[in-house]
Amino acid sequence: MQAQSPSAAEEQGANRTGAAPLLTLEKLDKRFGATHALKAVDLSFERGEIHAIVGENGAGKSTLIKLLTGVHPRSGGEIFWEGAPVALASPPEAIGMGINAVHQEVVLCPHLTVAANLFLGDETVRFGFLQHGAMVREGQKLLDELGFDLPAAVQLSSLTIGQQQLVATARAERRGAKFLIFDEPTAYLTRTETAALFLLIRRLKAKGVTIVYISHRLEEVFELADRVSVLRDGALVGTRKISETNENDLIALMINRSIEQIYHKDKVGLGATILETKGLSGKGFEDISIRVREGEIVGLYGLIGAGRSEFVQSVFGRFPATSGEIVWRGKKVDIRSERHAMDLGIALAPESRRDQGLCLNLGVGFNINLPIFDKLSFGPLINIPSEARHAERQIKEMQIKTASRNANASSLSGGNQQKIVIAKWLNHGAKLFIFDEPTVGVDVGTKAEIYRLMGQLLHHGAGLILISSYLPEVYELADTLHIFRRGSIAASHAFKDASHETILTEAIGV
Amino acid sequence: MSVQEASPRKRPNAGVNVLLGLTLLGLLLLMWVILAFATPTFWTENNITNLARQGSMIAILAIGETFVIITGGIDLSVGAVVGFCSMAIALLLGQHVPIGQAIIATLAIGLGIGLFHAFGIVQLGLPPFIMTLASLTALRGIGLLITNGATISITKDVFTGFSRGGFLGVPNLFWMVLVVAIPAYFLLHQSRWGRYLFAIGSNAEAARLSGVNVKAIIYLAYILSSVCAAFVGVLLAMRIGIGNPTQAEGWELQAIASSVIGGTSLFGAIGSIHGPLLGSFILTTINNGANLLNLNSFWQRIITGLLIIVIVYFDGLRRKKR
Repeated sequence: MQAQSPSAAEEQGANRTGAAPLLTLEKLDKRFGATHALKAVDLSFERGEIHAIVGENGAGKSTLIKLLTGVHPRSGGEIFWEGAPVALASPPEAIGMGINAVHQEVVLCPHLTVAANLFLGDETVRFGFLQHGAMVREGQKLLDELGFDLPAAVQLSSLTIGQQQLVATARAERRGAKFLIFDEPTAYLTRTETAALFLLIRRLKAKGVTIVYISHRLEEVFELADRVSVLRDGALVGTRKISETNENDLIALMINRSIEQIYHKDKVGLGATILETKGLSGKGFEDISIRVREGEIVGLYGLIGAGRSEFVQSVFGRFPATSGEIVWRGKKVDIRSERHAMDLGIALAPESRRDQGLCLNLGVGFNINLPIFDKLSFGPLINIPSEARHAERQIKEMQIKTASRNANASSLSGGNQQKIVIAKWLNHGAKLFIFDEPTVGVDVGTKAEIYRLMGQLLHHGAGLILISSYLPEVYELADTLHIFRRGSIAASHAFKDASHETILTEAIGV
Repeated sequence: MSVQEASPRKRPNAGVNVLLGLTLLGLLLLMWVILAFATPTFWTENNITNLARQGSMIAILAIGETFVIITGGIDLSVGAVVGFCSMAIALLLGQHVPIGQAIIATLAIGLGIGLFHAFGIVQLGLPPFIMTLASLTALRGIGLLITNGATISITKDVFTGFSRGGFLGVPNLFWMVLVVAIPAYFLLHQSRWGRYLFAIGSNAEAARLSGVNVKAIIYLAYILSSVCAAFVGVLLAMRIGIGNPTQAEGWELQAIASSVIGGTSLFGAIGSIHGPLLGSFILTTINNGANLLNLNSFWQRIITGLLIIVIVYFDGLRRKKR
């Protein structure tokens, strides 16, 4: 840092006085070893603007956040805060300046109360004793003011992920943030929670706080942002005023691919029934009757907690149903365990890839082969060449972007990790694929790839159950759409049989 | 202006694994060369065979322990199992049970102990740390109850003679390491069950959802660890000619340290067979060298303790980088 002569710094600072932006980046650069994660990015953030940043996974968004919040040191370039150069070398420094981030994955203490989390590190103390009552009152007041319908006295872990995210936002607000970064904040939020969050973001903007909003959901960007910057392969490819651009324009900047090509729906003739449930009931769902045929995508749409995940988990044998029946390819079956479900030919791509889908610190090839090591074995021993061959073939077929089959799964982008999960099941001979929120936190390009993949599965004669809280996704893809509400099916539609509005109304149940 | 360069991210793969193995081997040879020059007694036949015998027992324990650590667990009971089994075989031989049957019965005791550990961990949901710590103290207690604190001497010379013997100039006990290590290598690196051990250590939930019978594999890991320990119990009884449940005190830490020195991650999913082998001989050489250099033997414990702290610290760093 000392390499910069003070006079030069002052001069540059002087140029910026007057209408200096709150934060300016000049030729900001970051390398991780051989990887050039951020390439000479020039960007400025005005006071009180909502500045969206979009880009595919691996475009450099996360790296940018980490540099701005002091988590990683930069490899080159300058950062100016209110016109003056700053080091921004540690998270406390960033927080001290007023830079805060609300992450997609909540970083709070789940065992403490909401109020205790709000005041963490800055507790109200009198004579050396914590003032629990005062903190709960203050915290509740803050939450009420922000328009969040949340209790301050309960333990944080009793809230949903979405609600915890709101608490994290309230905490940043309390710490007097001047510059607030939201990283995919709505990925796990319900509509009402999203609405409350947007209201808060607008209020913060009115107070002069600068908001950086990172999201894969372009419609949110258009709803909220004043300006939008697009990153591609670590470089800034453009900054637009929101009034002077549109979705197609942004997507073209991000990937050079048009929106029609994203929801790529293969028309496949429907074959025999693979799975049928008749009046299936269990914990969290009731009287569910659906049918999945070969070549069919059955969409399950509903709010989070509407019972969709519980339903498919019971089909997958995790929490066996208490009544009703499951018919698998014409035969009545009683699925009591996941092993049983897998042996029948049911595959589940779980909602949380990181927690349930992958062995992150093991190789890509290892993960792909995990369900079929028994088939790759000759007697007790694994056939090492065929293990390698099989992994290579799947990597190629699924176009998984990885340095090698031995690279750790954690080194891949979210979309490519999703591909590993799917590849795992392909050669296991699965007939029914259950996708639980397959595109949460995944960029447009990878989304398109995942949809194409689904098309491939259909061509192989598989049936798909697609659970999604993202309406356009199920709307554009599902041959049959079931709307879940409070544990039962509120309505069912054929392909594009109902409007978005109708479906939403049915899901919310106004 | 250059801000500090980020360190390149290394991923553990076969190449790095071999590299670590070669580094450890180099370290071991270096220690031997230094000790050979520094002391007149190190490079004598007597000392080298002694070193091989002592290291062999820790090596077998460490291999068994490695299976457990790879699943993300820990087995603190192995020292106690060694002591208990040395007593068991001494008792059996005292009852004139044929040697072969006595050895099989002792290994079966190890199997039973492993089953018990896995039952507590899998079925009762106890943390491995607590389960095996509890059985450590309980096993010593049971042993003392049975023997009333007395030492049982073994009079069968065929049995004790084996430990003093050798084959092709190499002590028999060292051959026993190969008897354990070669099948262990195939199990860990060439069989599907080995793959499952790694998968469970990395993400048990993902393994379960991929159709891995997680419970059965955890049973396998703890059984292997206890059976290896029982085998070491047999070897120890051979070597010292007595059975005593208080023997092998602290060997669990030596086994864990050997495994970790050999590159096994205490956080699971990283490990090999050659690693703990090299690790155990490094540790044994440190202890042996300390003896020859007339270092107070109490220092050896302190060195082992510090070594564990340093190595686990670096293991933690390695994990954070990913």
